[in-house]
Amino acid sequence: MASLSEEVLLVVKKVRQRKQDGTLYLMAERVAWGPEGKDRFTVSHLYADIRCQKISPDGKAKIQLQLVLHTGESTTFHFANESSALKDRDATKELLQQLLPKFKKKANKELEEKNRMLQEDPVLFQLYKDLVVSQVISAEEFWANRLGGINNTDPAVVNNKQEVGISGAFLADIRPQTDGCNGLRYNLTADIIESIFRTYPAVKQKYSENVPHNLTEKEFWTRFFQSHYFHRDRINTGTQDIFSECAKQDEKGLKSLVIQGVKNPLVDLLSLEDKTLDEGYGICTTLPSTSNANKTVKESSNSAIIKRFNHHSAMVLAAGSRKGVFTSLLTASSSETSSTDGNSRDSDFFQPPVKKVKLQEAIEYEDLQRENRPKTVALNLKKSDRYAHGPVPLQSQHYTTSQDIINSVNYIRHEMMNYKPNLTEVLSSTAASSAIAALSPGGVLMQAGAQQAINQMVPTEVQGELKHLYVAAGELLRHFWSCFPVNTPFLEEKVMKMKSNLERFQVTKLCPFQEKIQRQYLSTNLTGHLEEMLQTAYSKFHIWQTRRMMRKT
Amino acid sequence: FKVPDEISLLVIVVDVNPIWWGQQAQREQEFTLSKCLDAVMVMGNSHMAMSRTNKLAVIASHCQDSHFLYPSKSWKAGDDGADDASSSGDGKYELLSVANNLIAEEIRNVMSKTEVRGNSTDTLLAGTLAKALCLGQEIKSRILVIKAAEDCALQYMNFMNVIFAAQKQNILIDACVLDSNSGLLQQACDITGGLYLKIPQQVALAQYLLWVFLPDSEQRSQLVLPPPAHVDYRAACFCHRNLIEIGYVCSVCLSIFCNFSPICTTCETAFKIQLPQMVKPKKKKLKQTT
Repeated sequence: MASLSEEVLLVVKKVRQRKQDGTLYLMAERVAWGPEGKDRFTVSHLYADIRCQKISPDGKAKIQLQLVLHTGESTTFHFANESSALKDRDATKELLQQLLPKFKKKANKELEEKNRMLQEDPVLFQLYKDLVVSQVISAEEFWANRLGGINNTDPAVVNNKQEVGISGAFLADIRPQTDGCNGLRYNLTADIIESIFRTYPAVKQKYSENVPHNLTEKEFWTRFFQSHYFHRDRINTGTQDIFSECAKQDEKGLKSLVIQGVKNPLVDLLSLEDKTLDEGYGICTTLPSTSNANKTVKESSNSAIIKRFNHHSAMVLAAGSRKGVFTSLLTASSSETSSTDGNSRDSDFFQPPVKKVKLQEAIEYEDLQRENRPKTVALNLKKSDRYAHGPVPLQSQHYTTSQDIINSVNYIRHEMMNYKPNLTEVLSSTAASSAIAALSPGGVLMQAGAQQAINQMVPTEVQGELKHLYVAAGELLRHFWSCFPVNTPFLEEKVMKMKSNLERFQVTKLCPFQEKIQRQYLSTNLTGHLEEMLQTAYSKFHIWQTRRMMRKT
Repeated sequence: FKVPDEISLLVIVVDVNPIWWGQQAQREQEFTLSKCLDAVMVMGNSHMAMSRTNKLAVIASHCQDSHFLYPSKSWKAGDDGADDASSSGDGKYELLSVANNLIAEEIRNVMSKTEVRGNSTDTLLAGTLAKALCLGQEIKSRILVIKAAEDCALQYMNFMNVIFAAQKQNILIDACVLDSNSGLLQQACDITGGLYLKIPQQVALAQYLLWVFLPDSEQRSQLVLPPPAHVDYRAACFCHRNLIEIGYVCSVCLSIFCNFSPICTTCETAFKIQLPQMVKPKKKKLKQTT
């Protein structure tokens, strides 16, 4: 049903959908269609859900408009008004053309984010396949914790992308190619067009004024490249050229830039001058004058190029730093750059003392300042000897009496006094063979080695499957356990849902796996721990449920 | 497969605790310190015989000090070697006979200087291991410890430092234990990648040494040797010195306790733990029976 607060932008009568007559309504956030005579809508699509619209070709008898949704479904509207069908259809199409892009970004963003996350993290992707594709839990539950509020956070935080600057050589990079017969081909990409618009807002203005009413895009750009505005020598050839106005604006801008000057008090541009000592190393007395009147033609065209060059650089820099009103109010140093573009309208209302900041920068070094580390509390150990003892518990030492000690020492001294190595009688053969027996496989010393490491006995694919099971089970259990303590009805619902999810997981994933490994005669108990975890969850649920029953009675 | 000309050093550390060996000699005549040293010499000779570039060092770990048996300061190469009664006439490779004689001489010296001291009856194993580590600085080396007496708990910190230093320098520590199991050596072997073996028959020491400890680490991967022992890595609580599996750790000084106490006794930090909320049982309304 249409809510009263929705604004209706367009109503088109006599639109058929699925062979039924009705009316099409275009509202602020969605498009809806209701059959003739009825008060409610049978078809309603949010603009955010619509991927694109299609129209039937001009020649056809039936005048139709098709909406294709992101999910792949499509709805077709047939405009059946004998007199104005085509007009209706076109009006609808244009309105949609304007509205759809606004809503497109939001929906795409979410989907893009999801896709990106799945692509970047193979574990997540596997988890998604295990849980959502096999319908153990629904997609919403899966994404509930993960998307991290794409819609809630303010765009400044989410939009972490850095803005791409403009290459100073973008115009030069266009590199026209000869067409064969006296013409030039300019290859324009979207990037170049964007650069031109960002650097020269005047051109952008002209574009929006003229295209598509007066000129097609192609014509506009052809004229652009043909005009002298683009070429080196900006000799104004009259007002026929749409770009001559741009040239005049640029001149004005340049002049205002020069007047503004540089705000850095430590830089004095005016003291720089082109003084040549002329030939003769200064002996020649007549100084060359720099007044405009004596300029040769060559000099004036040189100065024109230099002027254009400077202007272009200034525009590029300005476009790069022009990020909106906020940045220009931020720091003193950026206030310098924000007015490098003579045409910019956002003048600084705040003018923090630039001079002071510049001077500070010049005389102080950050590295040499005293570090402002947060105050820490010193560690105060009262009984530090505790660390010296290892995890060897203080066993009772065996007691050796001093008499024992004396005896032992004497004995050994006596023994070693006349020690001579007797290397021919080190080992008897019986001793040797019993030692070898103990060291051979199956011997006394080799018992522990009989147990082979589990990962050598189980094939790798089984190990892989087990890992996936663990990841999936872990995810479900995490959701389950996070419901406790169950305080709200939402959590109650969730805990019951999770319990059924766990059961479903056990049936659809765990049991087949167990059967599979049994068939492969693997006697090791690989799933014991998983089952234990699930059992703990079930018993907790059971306890909670009985308590709940008791509380109710 | 060894790269030719690669020097491989074996350092044998022998525990010559006089008290233990003196008692041992009284209990068991068959296997005394002399026999043990004979087996060590066989091991040393075998190691040197395996390759021309193999080197040997033998250090005796006493309760007074640790003493190099080989190479020895008193060794003068060359002339003396020939006239010594060492030329045992069996055509032995001269290096081996020289080594054996030196070892014998040195051990006689060491043991004759043994004094009776009641207060230090423990083998200074940590110090000896530290000396052994200093030897194997730039060459590939490993240490074999032949342990007789029990562990000394006081040497724990030094021991652990030595173990980690050995690990850093990629020096294996092997242990061949004659009597009681040593937790410290078990840890040393586990951490550095060596072998720990407590031998069931002391008289067959030479056989065990040659079978298990003679091959170096690369060769060991091709052989079937006794599996590594299970090491008990449990920590001991600071209050009772009990080995515990689950305990409380102070986040400030990292001391371990077996029970919770609101103030850490080592660094005197006060802790607050939120105890679970006590749920008051609801009073049930008594139904009035009419």
